[in-house]
Amino acid sequence: MGSGIQVRGKLLKWFDQRRLFRTSAFRLSLIYATLFSTLTAATLGFIYWSTRDQIESQVDARLRLETEYLINLYTSGAMPELLETIQRRNQIDTYGRFYNLGSEDVDLDIPEQSEEALPIRLKSVRSHTTRNLGDVADLPPGSLRAFDPVRVAETRLSNGVKLTIGHEISDEKALLDHTFTLVLGATGLTLLFSLIGGLWIGTGMLRRIDSVSRTATEIMSGDLSQRLKVTSRDDEFDEIATKLNQMLNRIEDLMKSMQQVTNNVAHDLRSPLTRLRTKLEVTLLEERDPENYRRVMDEAIGDADSLIHTFNAMLSIARLEAGIDSAQWHKTRIGDLASELAELYEAVADEEEQGNLSFLSSIQSNPEFNCNRHLIGQAITNLLDNAIKYSPHPASISLSVEGDNQSFRITVADNGPGIPEHERDRVFERFVRLENERNSPGNGLGLSLVKAVARLHSARLTLEDNEPGLRVIMHFEKRKRPEKVRGKGKIIAVSKQPAANPQLA
Amino acid sequence: MYYTVVTINIVNVAFRYTTHGGCMRILLVEDDLEAATYLVKGLTESGHIVEHADDGELGLQMAVSNAYDSMIIDRMLPKRDGLSVIEELRRMGNMAPVLILSALDDVDERVTGLKAGGDDYLTKPYQLSELTARLQALTRRAQTGLQGTVLHVGDLTLDLIKHKVTRSGRNINLQPREFRLLEYLMQHTGQVVTRSMLLENVWDYHFDPQTNVIDVQISRLRSKIDKDFDSPLLHTVRGAGYKLQEVGSTAELT
Repeated sequence: MGSGIQVRGKLLKWFDQRRLFRTSAFRLSLIYATLFSTLTAATLGFIYWSTRDQIESQVDARLRLETEYLINLYTSGAMPELLETIQRRNQIDTYGRFYNLGSEDVDLDIPEQSEEALPIRLKSVRSHTTRNLGDVADLPPGSLRAFDPVRVAETRLSNGVKLTIGHEISDEKALLDHTFTLVLGATGLTLLFSLIGGLWIGTGMLRRIDSVSRTATEIMSGDLSQRLKVTSRDDEFDEIATKLNQMLNRIEDLMKSMQQVTNNVAHDLRSPLTRLRTKLEVTLLEERDPENYRRVMDEAIGDADSLIHTFNAMLSIARLEAGIDSAQWHKTRIGDLASELAELYEAVADEEEQGNLSFLSSIQSNPEFNCNRHLIGQAITNLLDNAIKYSPHPASISLSVEGDNQSFRITVADNGPGIPEHERDRVFERFVRLENERNSPGNGLGLSLVKAVARLHSARLTLEDNEPGLRVIMHFEKRKRPEKVRGKGKIIAVSKQPAANPQLA
Repeated sequence: MYYTVVTINIVNVAFRYTTHGGCMRILLVEDDLEAATYLVKGLTESGHIVEHADDGELGLQMAVSNAYDSMIIDRMLPKRDGLSVIEELRRMGNMAPVLILSALDDVDERVTGLKAGGDDYLTKPYQLSELTARLQALTRRAQTGLQGTVLHVGDLTLDLIKHKVTRSGRNINLQPREFRLLEYLMQHTGQVVTRSMLLENVWDYHFDPQTNVIDVQISRLRSKIDKDFDSPLLHTVRGAGYKLQEVGSTAELT
């Protein structure tokens, strides 16, 4: 049982590693590893070769000096001294040097027989090579030194005599070999560490990606409430996760609102349609006089109109919530727009019987705001219409604008019955009509539309007690970026707001 | 292909160029046959001649080969899109006024439609009275072209340059917005002007306040131009809108 799990774990691990090799992090680290190792190898190789060169030329310089000295003896005709010197030096053998003077064909021969024939002037050809000691020196058979490296300077003299001076370079060679091993080792280590690093980074990334893809799978299987994990590291993965979460919030909202639209269509269009149909059906049951038909048809047109109105409002809200609105955004003077509307509603108030409706506008500033003018106008109009509809006579309604370009507020207040605090969230939902307004005309979409408009413009909407009455405030802020949708709960923080003003609530 | 000349009313054709805002020869390009039938019926009953095409290609063909006073073109049509029909017509120099019908109610859509060369835009479902009023406004605009700087209706005059309104020589003081309202009404003298037409053209609002703001504005204007005079000029057309007209004028209410 336990071993089975172990095998399975190993398999999984292997599978994971196979995936690991495909990650971009691993691929990148592989490329970098190769690059760095090559670079390391090249650098150290250069050092190695130049050290070697340096050592050789030093040895060669010493050999040259020695050769010059012996050849000087040779050319000055001091043959006995030369032979003696060579003899002596060969015997000492302290510097790892050996000397040989021989003819071309008879190597390693003591050239005593040709000493008289030596000419005074010499033309010499010199060469420096590295050989095994056994090749150039007279060593006892099986000597351990036979394979020691030796630097040899050969000077061919004009009469076929060859002067060979050797210098053992075992120490230098050992140093160079060691350096070479170091070069190989360093390159290998660089490669190894880069690969390990790459694997490590790759595994880390895979873990983060796995978490994202796991959540995505869960979401795809239908659980839209899942969110990606955001760590406290606040790195690029967290940034992406945050953005994706915001996107998911938005999608969830949209799904919900779509569902709501479907439900609403079912509930709120079906019943008036049924009513309309029944009305027409009943009228057709019996023969009636033309006046009766006309009346019923007039009513039917009225019903159809109100259905169309509801339907249009629903569509507008759905569209606003989907954020489909682009071309119509312009810089608009909010104060001017509010003043125009105030003019219209002031006229309405004036037409009412004395004191039945008073309208007060206080446009204190004229902020410039990038928005859809028609939508803002529609929102203000909806609020004013609501205020007029729900306020008992004598009603007093006010519209005010205050603030500057950076942030401003549009407030519509009335002295009607107001909305109890616990109902304030609910009134923004579609088709919600509070108990006391059941009998007044309207489709319950006015405030939903206001909310949708506010949301589209990243405005905050708050409901307050006007003591008595209702005060609706739209808080607008100049956007830094053309970002239409922010995180969940930021734009429509209606529910959180009243708590901030306990003395008002 | 579906091609119908729904009504050929010889008498109407004869009077086509004599009556003003009365009989028009209208091309309707609409693929929804039922809707088209009702529309043809409604417009015919209002005294117009309507010819109907049920796809874009046929519509374009008919528009090219006949002279229409105005056209009603649906936005989405089989064979050829309504907007492309309009663009093609405009490219060929056909400047007959076009009213675009569309199921898409959006300010953006409206702008696209007008950019393509349409003159007005109406969203389905529409009221027949709204459609007739807009159609007449379009035809009138096309027929009269540029108007003078002084408008007259009966003894009412409006001077666009001096910004002055007088009736029977008496000065009438109007607020700027009231002036624009009267100007629009006078430009469409004898025609029904609907509330949404006023909202769109005088206030540039593409939304409908539930409160009767337009009625109030009209009643204010009426009190200024009609109250102290014997014959009223500004009339309410039930279920449709308003009309500025001298009493005794021949045109019928539509």
